[in-house]
This record gives sequence, C-alpha cells and structure tokens, in this order.
Amino acid sequence: MGIPNIMHTGRSGMTASRTAIATTGHNIANANTEGYSRQRVELEANITTDGPGEKNTIGQGVKVNNISRVNDEYIEKELQNGTRDHAHFEEKDIALQQLEEVFNELDGDGLNRIMSRFFNEFRKLSNDPDNEAIRQSIREATHALTNDFRRLRKEVEQVQAHIDSRIAAYSTEINAITDEVADLNQRIRAMEVRKASPNDLKDRRDLLLRRLASYMAISTHKDGKGGINVDIKGVGPLVTGNIAQKFEVARTQAKPEKGQPENSLELRTSASANSVVTHSIKGGKLGGLIAVRDQTLNTVLDRLDDLAYSITKNVNHIHMQAVNREGMKGIPFFDDLATKERASAYMKLSDAVAMNTNNIATGFDLNAPGDNRASIAISQLQYDRLLNDGQATMDDWFNSIVSDIGIVRNRNRASLAQTKNVMTHLQKMRDQVSGVSLDEETANLLQYQHAFDASAKVIQVSEEILDSILSIKN
Amino acid sequence: MRVTQNTNFNTIRDTIQTSRGRMEELQNKAATLKKLNRPSDNPVDTAKVLEIRTDKVNNEQYFRNAKLAEAFLNNSDHAVDELVEVINRAKEIAINQSSGASSTDETRLGVAEEVAQLFQRAVSAANTRIGDRYLFGGYQTDQPPVNVEGRYQGDAGEMMVEIGKDVFLSMNLPGIYVFNTNPEKSVDYQNLQQKEMLEAKAQGQEPEEVPPPKLNADGSLSHTGQENINVFQELKNLRIGLLTGDLDGVRNTLERFDKLHATLVASRSRIGSRVSGLLGSINAMERHNLTNAELNSVLEDADMAEVLGNIAREETVFKSVLSSSTRLVQPTLIDFLG
Repeated sequence: MGIPNIMHTGRSGMTASRTAIATTGHNIANANTEGYSRQRVELEANITTDGPGEKNTIGQGVKVNNISRVNDEYIEKELQNGTRDHAHFEEKDIALQQLEEVFNELDGDGLNRIMSRFFNEFRKLSNDPDNEAIRQSIREATHALTNDFRRLRKEVEQVQAHIDSRIAAYSTEINAITDEVADLNQRIRAMEVRKASPNDLKDRRDLLLRRLASYMAISTHKDGKGGINVDIKGVGPLVTGNIAQKFEVARTQAKPEKGQPENSLELRTSASANSVVTHSIKGGKLGGLIAVRDQTLNTVLDRLDDLAYSITKNVNHIHMQAVNREGMKGIPFFDDLATKERASAYMKLSDAVAMNTNNIATGFDLNAPGDNRASIAISQLQYDRLLNDGQATMDDWFNSIVSDIGIVRNRNRASLAQTKNVMTHLQKMRDQVSGVSLDEETANLLQYQHAFDASAKVIQVSEEILDSILSIKN
Repeated sequence: MRVTQNTNFNTIRDTIQTSRGRMEELQNKAATLKKLNRPSDNPVDTAKVLEIRTDKVNNEQYFRNAKLAEAFLNNSDHAVDELVEVINRAKEIAINQSSGASSTDETRLGVAEEVAQLFQRAVSAANTRIGDRYLFGGYQTDQPPVNVEGRYQGDAGEMMVEIGKDVFLSMNLPGIYVFNTNPEKSVDYQNLQQKEMLEAKAQGQEPEEVPPPKLNADGSLSHTGQENINVFQELKNLRIGLLTGDLDGVRNTLERFDKLHATLVASRSRIGSRVSGLLGSINAMERHNLTNAELNSVLEDADMAEVLGNIAREETVFKSVLSSSTRLVQPTLIDFLG
C-alpha cells in the first residue's frame, strides 16, 4: 500500500467525521423541532481495490454510505390514529362545553325554574281566580317562559354557527396541508431517484399527515416511488402522488331527514364523485364537529321543540274549553302552533291574553268567578306524562335534556382523558426512537471530534513518513 | 430505554398540567361549596337535583295554598258556628213560646222582632267574606250567596286547592249544603238546575229537561221521603208562627230546629276534618322538604373537609413535582465538559 493511499485513508476519515459532526449539529439544532427524527450517518469501510497477489489487504478508509433517519413507521401510523382520536374528542369537548354552559341549570334561573314558576302561577290563580294581580303575573311568567325557550334555542344555534365557522376554517387548513403533502411527494420522489436521503422532507411529510389525520379519518399508503397517497376513509383519494384534491364548504338547505339544520355548512370535495361529503367524514375534528352539530345539538333542539309544542298544545286545549271573565269560550292561551318544527322559537302568548288579562280563563261555568277548575287542570299538566309516549312529565323531559347533555360531555371527557394518555404514551415511544438526546449527541460530538483528530494525525504521520523517505536521499 | 431531554420536559409539563387541572377543580369546589357545578360533573345527580328544586318550589306553593285553604275553612267554621248559635236561640224562643202558659200576644210580638234579628244575623253569617270573596257562594264568589229573602244565590261549585302533589281539597262549603238538611230536595237546588239549564241553552246546547219544582202552599217542596229544612225558611216559619199566634206551627219548628242543628254541626265536623287533613299534609310537606334538603345536600354540596384535605394533598404533590423538575432539567453532559 502506498503512502498516498494512507493519506487518502486519513482524508476519508476526516471527511466522514466532519459529516458525522455536521449531522450531530443538525440533530442538536433540531432537538426541539416538531416531528424531527434524529439522523445517523451510516459509515462503511472502503473495500480495497488492490490487485491480485497482495496478501495483506487493507481497506481504503471509510465512506459515508447514507444519512438515515431513525424512525419507526409503525409508531408513526399509531401516532396518526392517536392524533385523530384525540383531536376528535378534544374538538367535541369544546363544542359540548359551550352546550353545557347553555344548559347549566345548576346555577341561577334556568328553564327548569321558570317552568315551575309558570305552573305555580296557575296554582296561585286557582286559589284566587278573580285576582287581577295574579293574572298580570301569569302573563309575566308566560313571557319569561317563551323568552327562555327562545333564548335556549338561539344559544344552541349559536353553538352550531360557531361549529360552522370552525368547519370553514378547517377546510382551508386541510387544503393547505394537502397541497404541501403533494408538493413534498414530488420532491421526495425526485431526491430518491438521485439516491439522496430526503430525511427532513419525510419528517415534514409525516408531521403533515399527522395533522391531516387530526381533521378526519384517513388512510395512507406508499406508492413505491417515495410518494405517499392519502385516502379519506369512505370517501375517496385526497392526495395521489403530486395531485391534491380540494375541500370547500357551502351553505345548504335544511335536510331534516339527515338531521342537518337549516343553512348549515356542507363539506364538498373533489375527492369524491358525490361531491357533498358532510356525513361521510368520520373521526377527527371535522367528524366530531359534524356529529355534535347534526346529532347532539339537533336532538337537543328537537326535544326543546317537543316540550314547547306540548306545553302550547295542552295548555291551549284546556284553556279553549274554559270561559274567560266575559263568558267567552275558545280563546287560545298561546298562539296555536301548526307543527313541532321550531316550536321553541315560535311559542308565544296569544294576542288576546297579551292585550287583556280578562281573557285568561279559569273555569268552565259561566258567571262563576270562583270557578278554578281550568286553572287547576293547567297547573296539573306539570305532572301529566305527556311526553315520550306518555312516559315523561314536562319536568322529566327537560331534566333529561340537561342530564343527557351532561352524560354526553362526561363520556366525551372520559374518552378525551383516555386518548390523551394514549397520545402521551405514543409521544414517549416516538421520542424513545426518534427523539434527540442532547447527552447522546454531545457524546457523539466528542467521539467524532476525536476520530477527526486521529484521522488528521494519520495524515500527519504519513506526511512524516514521506518526509523520512525523501530525506534518505540526502 | 432511551430517554431524551424532550421526554423529560414533556413529562414535567404533563405532570404540572395534570396537577394544576386537579387543583383548579378543587378550587372550584371550594369556592362554590358545591361538587355539582356542571351537569357533566354527575349527570344523574344533576337530574335529581333539578327534580328536588322543582319539588321545593312547588311545595312552597302548596304550603301557601294550604294556608289559604286553612283561612277559608276556619272562617267558614266561625260562620257556621254563628248559625248554630242563631238556631239554638231560635229554638229557645220556640220552646218558650210553644206553650200557651208563657206565651201571650205581646211576648210573641216582642220575640218575633228578635227572630227577625236572628234572621238578619243568619243572613250576614251566610254572607261572610274573606277579602272580597264570599265563602258560601260556591263559584259565585263575587256576590252575596244569600239575599235578603234568605234565598240562595250561589251554586254548588267546590273550589279545589292543591295542597300537595296531586292532593286536592275543597276549600269552601257551598252554602246549599250548609243551609239545607236535604239539599237535593231544596228549592235552592231546583233553582240552580233551572239556571244551569238556561245557561246551557244560552250556549246553544240541548240540556236535559228539568221539571219545574212543585211547591206546597207554604213554599216548601212537595215530595215524598225526607223533607228538606232550610235555615232561613225555618226562621221565617217561626216568625210567622209567632206573629199569627199559630202555636202548633211554633211547636212544629222545634223538631226541625233540632235537625238543622244536627246538619250544621255535621258541617262543622266536615270542616274540622278537612282542617286536620290540611295540617297533616302541611306537616308531611315540611318533613318532605327536610328530607329533600338533606338529599339535595348529599348530592350537591361538597364535603369541605374532604375538599380542603385534597387541596392540601394536591399542594404537596404540586410542590414535589416542581422541586423534582428543577433537579431533572439541570444537568446535561455539556455541564461537565471542561
């Protein structure tokens, strides 16, 4: 082996160490970069190319075979799923929290109390049917009742509107992400063709896919050429190679059969032949928001409507058979409602009663100011099992709305805590494999520095050898 | 196991967050003294608490109802008592004047005047009011139930009040049942039916025909079976007997006053039993309120000793998290390189 070869070996060692030091530096610099996987220099001994006859073959130094990232695909996939579930429950929790605030009857006056007051005013009236002050206060209690129904409906609708605005914002974010994934697919493919290692690009793509999974259930698969294709589960391809499909939202007509409220946002995507995919999206933030908006909130509104409708119908039924102070029959107490649809919004004291308290009818006999039977019958409605096919009283019905909301949120919170634990665990697992340990990197730094120094020494020694050889002549 | 600095920091962040979250919850409980602050804290208890609240509000109303009914019934009792006294006095007069020995035209004229006074007393007792509501008129609370002639103007309406969930009690005795020994045979009753028929006709309904009452010469109903005796009619009869010197007629009233007395006393005992039922249900309601309050407290109120204990414990946990964190984050290999 010639001396220049030894120098070459030394140089290859210096180059390799320098690369390793640079990589270590890169790792340290990215210690806190989200989604970063630590990188390793894969070194390989240069195999000798000496000709035949040589007995003691010595290699020709070292070469950097590859700079790889330390990454476990399985953990990445699990993280994707974990992120999807965690984001799903987290997002639902925000919406459910808003809903719970609307129905927090535990502090202060809520519909529960106002409803009791309404029926108790009729009990007062039955004690003293001719009393003008009580008649006035019935009118006030009724206004309070209808106002509170309207307030509840409006506040629930505001939660829906809030959800809509989030859905719109998310669809924009999804488009940005899928564009970037498509772009990364192309660049990674190009780099892999020239045998480069697109580690950072892959990290970035993994991170983006995780973010994408937080919006909805997706499935990913490699296309074999470095690209990753993304499908929305149950809908269709979202990213294919370097082509990304678009998401958009549009206001739509009500679809009661699908439980979709009026004027709500629909999701459309070019990813599916059937462009409207609102209810095909499952899981993730979008799936969570849509489920809350179209199921939980709509159910709550329907049940409020049922209650408002039942009160209106039943009070009117009795009131219209009774006679008012002037001996007239058939005066409605509430404005009649044709359907249950939006009853909580339309429920209203009839004009006749609103204008003149004499129109509050208390009894069934003519000219009998002490007749209180109608008032009693109305106050008794509070205990009649009029709702849920004769299973629930009005109080039961409303209380069950409140407790059901509590149950939904409670369950969701439990799932949230659980998915949070799963996420923490997965993060730790990923960190174990791919995270940058500063101690480790510092040690590596020293190791490579020593290697670098030693390689330099090799060159120095071989130079000295050369000098010695050259000095023989003298 | 590889543990990186980020793992450490994340763990520290997580434990601090968890601990702070628990402290926040405890703080909330301590500040409100309640363990139920949101429906999701315990949905089932929430429904129960709401139920209890409705119960409480309703019970307050039932309590007021019961008190009002009590006032009505007590006043009715006083009025009937007054009628009993009137009848007793009238009977005394009738006894005194029924034998020719103690009865002369002069004394009879004198006591006839007293009987007229008694009649007035009876009418005014029958027209007792609370506020501006007449007690004995049935649903006709806005006009005197008995007119100057002693004729009943009210109806048979019973004003029911709810004194407990689904417990109803009539707070009035319609005069027709108080002033007559056999109301269904009374003129007042017949008049009432006539009136109802007319009203039904006025409303365009076809009512059952009620035959007009057949009256005897003295104005009482002619019928077989138990005859009806009316307080006011009987006082009138006594007065007429005295004025005309009809001692037989005066004597006849004696037995009738006894029957009236029995009827009035029966009315009083009816009132009495209603009042005692009322008091019973008020007591039951108060017990119920107490049980409810207890249950509510169990469901809703935080156990302060427990909360404060938990806060103290959580504080210790939090401090140890912080102090262990400072130890954990300090040293790295770099610190030891020259």
